[in-house]
Amino acid sequence: MPDATGRERLLTVALPTGTAVAFLAVWQAVATLWAIPAVILPAPSDIVRQLVGSWGELLYQASFTGAEALAACVLSGIVGILVAAMLASSTPLREMLYPNLVAFQLIPKIALAPLFVIWLGIDAPSRLAFSTFISFFPVAIGTLTGLQSTNPNAIRLCQSLTASPSQIFRHVQVPYALPFFFSGMKVAATLSVIGIVVGEFISSKHGLGSYILLAGSRAETARIFAALVVLCVIGLALYGAIAWLELRVRRAWRG
Amino acid sequence: MLSLSEPALPGECIRAEKAWKIYDTAKGPVEAVAGVSFSVRRGEFVAILGPSGCGKSTLLMMCGGLEAITAGRISVDGAPIACPRTSIGVMFQESTLLPWKSVLDNVMFPIELLHRPRREHMARARELLSLVGLSGFESHKPHQLSGGMRQRAAICRALVYDPDILLMDEPFSALDAITRDEMNDALLDIWTRYTKTALFVTHSIREAVYLADRVLVMNRRPATIVADIAIPIPRPRDPSVGETKLFNELCSTLRGMIEHSHRAARDVTPYA
Repeated sequence: MPDATGRERLLTVALPTGTAVAFLAVWQAVATLWAIPAVILPAPSDIVRQLVGSWGELLYQASFTGAEALAACVLSGIVGILVAAMLASSTPLREMLYPNLVAFQLIPKIALAPLFVIWLGIDAPSRLAFSTFISFFPVAIGTLTGLQSTNPNAIRLCQSLTASPSQIFRHVQVPYALPFFFSGMKVAATLSVIGIVVGEFISSKHGLGSYILLAGSRAETARIFAALVVLCVIGLALYGAIAWLELRVRRAWRG
Repeated sequence: MLSLSEPALPGECIRAEKAWKIYDTAKGPVEAVAGVSFSVRRGEFVAILGPSGCGKSTLLMMCGGLEAITAGRISVDGAPIACPRTSIGVMFQESTLLPWKSVLDNVMFPIELLHRPRREHMARARELLSLVGLSGFESHKPHQLSGGMRQRAAICRALVYDPDILLMDEPFSALDAITRDEMNDALLDIWTRYTKTALFVTHSIREAVYLADRVLVMNRRPATIVADIAIPIPRPRDPSVGETKLFNELCSTLRGMIEHSHRAARDVTPYA
């Protein structure tokens, strides 16, 4: 990556921030000047007021959603690695399963949420299973691609140095696959929040999903938006945690 | 001085006897190497010269135990080779540095894999790097280096664990002509210092003549060695050697042989 000068670096922060602020300003202006009813579109200031007002309640609901999304994200990481390792280690297995796995992805998986309720009930295990089911795929495909993208010459080099398959795996294949795994994990972070919220829509008595559903039934639009802001923060936190982890792991593994 | 092994004793080091490599393809068997016999003495620098696709790289990999031998045999240090050995160092066409490791860590990679003592080899790695002019680049990443610098680092990596034999598979063919000449000098410099047995695959006639004690000319069809030419140019050699009559005569002799074998191949196989 080329070294950004101070001016460029400032712009990369200032441009998106400025755009977001401008957007909020226009929203605020439109909502107040045209006197749009708050039930249709509350102004940003209404949302902030709502956020501050029901802070305790939002935090309480977010604790369920956040914890479950985190768990689902970790689970999809584990499942993704296991599936990728399985497919990478055996060519017949890969030929049998990989096309089916891709075809399976064409099903809109959100539509399967009621099935998980039938199979696993309406509690956290059901939501976790559903959310993991939605989010492990990019991790599995990313990691598999990474394991297979290892420079064949690097493997040959290791062989010429009489390296064992496990040494080749550890010293070459894993480091090559790490960026792929983590970009899969970043997608999984977003998907796992979606999975949990959808699960909460369907079956939960707590969490931000059910909170939004309840607010919707009472036409408390500002409340919905406030919950959305909190959901955004949860997604960002998960994403950030993964980016941080990536930095740590790559530093440790790649020396 | 580096504490590398003594220059090797004279004697036979690599011996190929009617070595074959046959690939099974959809269009039937393909003879990549067709009954090649040659030998390399200890401390000798031998170049295998041939047109691209003549199977010379395959032959080299067979010598390193990286490709199975279909028939015949290749012995290294008296024992038939069946798998890679630590007494053999291999340089590939690409530098194949690991992109996340620094130059120094790349050079130390064999030491890490072979579980050799890190501290004493660290000193050796640094000395090798300074020998090829990479002092000050130890902590650079490969992408920060030019192609020539990357191959220099690859030379150091091939030498850091002190193998007796160096197998080189067109290591400089991806470089521009000027860098390539520099690399040839750097390689000769190192080789005269440690007198490793070297087997060097190339499709450049001038490179083969400049580097080697002997040039084996390899044909495409059949994929076998058609000539074994001694290069009686005294060492140490420097770029001025390239202007001499002897050098240019040797080059034109070799060129004639390659063209001749090419024509012969074309006459036999109409679509070659």
